[in-house]
Amino acid sequence: MLEPIVVTLEELNLITLVPMCIAIFGALLIICIDLVKERLDKSFYLMITLLFLAVDFVAVLASAGLFEQVGSVRGFFDVMFIDGLAILGQLIIVGASMLFIPLALTSKRFHEYNYPEYFGMFLFMVGGFQFMVATDNLILIFVGLETASLALYTLIALHNRDKSFEAAIKYFTMGALGAALFSFGAMLLYAVSGSIEIAHIAAVVKADEYANIEILLVGVVMLLAALGLKVSLVPFHTWLPDVYEGSSAALAGYMSIVPKIAAFVVAMRLFEFLIHSGVVWLEVILYAVVVLTMTAANLWALVQSDVKRMLAYSSISHAGFVMAAILIATTQANSALFIYWILFSFTNLGAFTMLWVSRQKDLLPGQSSDHPYDKFSGMIRTMPVAAVVMGLFMLSLAGMPPFAMFWGKLYMISAAVNAEYVILALIMAINSAIAAYYYLKLIVYMFMKEPHYEGMQQYYMTNSSGALKTIIGFAAFATVFIFLALNPIMEFVTALVQKSGF
Amino acid sequence: MIEITLAHYLALATILFCIGLIGVLRRKNLLLLFMATEIMLNSVNIGFAAIGHYYGDLSGQMFAFFVIAIAASEVAVGLGLLIVWYKRTGSIDLDSLSSMRG
Repeated sequence: MLEPIVVTLEELNLITLVPMCIAIFGALLIICIDLVKERLDKSFYLMITLLFLAVDFVAVLASAGLFEQVGSVRGFFDVMFIDGLAILGQLIIVGASMLFIPLALTSKRFHEYNYPEYFGMFLFMVGGFQFMVATDNLILIFVGLETASLALYTLIALHNRDKSFEAAIKYFTMGALGAALFSFGAMLLYAVSGSIEIAHIAAVVKADEYANIEILLVGVVMLLAALGLKVSLVPFHTWLPDVYEGSSAALAGYMSIVPKIAAFVVAMRLFEFLIHSGVVWLEVILYAVVVLTMTAANLWALVQSDVKRMLAYSSISHAGFVMAAILIATTQANSALFIYWILFSFTNLGAFTMLWVSRQKDLLPGQSSDHPYDKFSGMIRTMPVAAVVMGLFMLSLAGMPPFAMFWGKLYMISAAVNAEYVILALIMAINSAIAAYYYLKLIVYMFMKEPHYEGMQQYYMTNSSGALKTIIGFAAFATVFIFLALNPIMEFVTALVQKSGF
Repeated sequence: MIEITLAHYLALATILFCIGLIGVLRRKNLLLLFMATEIMLNSVNIGFAAIGHYYGDLSGQMFAFFVIAIAASEVAVGLGLLIVWYKRTGSIDLDSLSSMRG
């Protein structure tokens, strides 16, 4: 006879689940409203989405307050795990989602925003990513990853062009391969340690004194490949430029921020215990991947003829830059990762929104993609303000002081130098210099060339609306003036990272 | 008679996984490609169930159940995408996905 299991509410510690539940409840509510009353305007659903994301954000802040008082909290049979990384990850995920979802308020009509399911699925995706960062249980990481990814494939496909379906299928194929690799890697870790919680695995492996290091390494490499598919590390990046090109600019910008930070947090949890225990092989592999990702992506970006594809390769290169933090694995480097990503999200928000407002219905004559460089040539003559703002974002991405990304790069490189990775720091600096070239190429096109097409001014702002201009203004403001707020952000991030022991 | 041990199960799982991986890399037909990923996921299920039994621990079998659920939902989304693609292009060949290059 089995003993009845008594579970008290305090034991479940439901506070750890509240933020994700808010997002999921919002998604269900949107779907239910659609059942009762059809054909409501997209702005109504957008406001509901924003409202729930705002409440979600506040709930995460509340758990940050709890974390400062009592340290990391476990809940729901020790599956949920709220520490500083989980809080920072969730803040970036929910914050970036709040900034990107208003991009639905375009002046042109788009297929996907007519469906309330778009907003429902968006919230499910946010919930999935939140689960992924707020746990150290491999099952929940896997489930969160797949929930979010499956929603994301559908969101891409809803854009309803041939290219977006192609992008969704490509992303899906890669994602399915990634899921298989992740679960096989998790199986190998389970075989070595008999546990699927990262903290337990670390403890067991250490107690065994790395007796089964071969199996462990194969498992870790598989997990690295699976996460590399998500954060687009070379050689697992092949899907990314096509997916960015095929999906709408709003969603492409979103994909360059949110899925990656979730995967970075998981990578940080998974790999750092191994690096700290001096598993040299993993360090070598990570070192090679980081250098390759930064350099190769930069070289590919140089030869692109489409601005969106250029930004796609640049985001691969930025991901490599940030992955260096996981290799360095000091508190300063880990804080630098989050700060870099916060600054990157503002800048990329601006850059991709600039592409989104200039999205025209049909392709330009003689072009095969939406945003070729030619389209932007001579922009300073026809739309001076837009050209200056776009130039601002490009300078920031290139790492010019005093714009946002400069501080991120500075902090990351100084973390590398402080941890005595001088060669890595040098490679990072050289890559920033190479990257400046292709960002400046767009600036040259905008400021120095003659307009390539007649009557281009109608195209640059064809899709804009008050809401989109506000977002661009906000992104530009944040990009220029964020250095004034850098110290408090740095203290907040460093305190959270340090307190969770990374 | 040899006794079947954990190692046999793990070998089976690895072999199946490799078959699936080769399928993913080699197949040109998208439907068969998706099937190959299913083989990979199912090989993981075998491994998890066997290891869970070996340790007398339930979390392995739990993981296997979650993998089954995720594989099912993945099929739903993937086949949905494939049907739309087939309606639009009349082909489910991998080479038909080539409008974007660079």
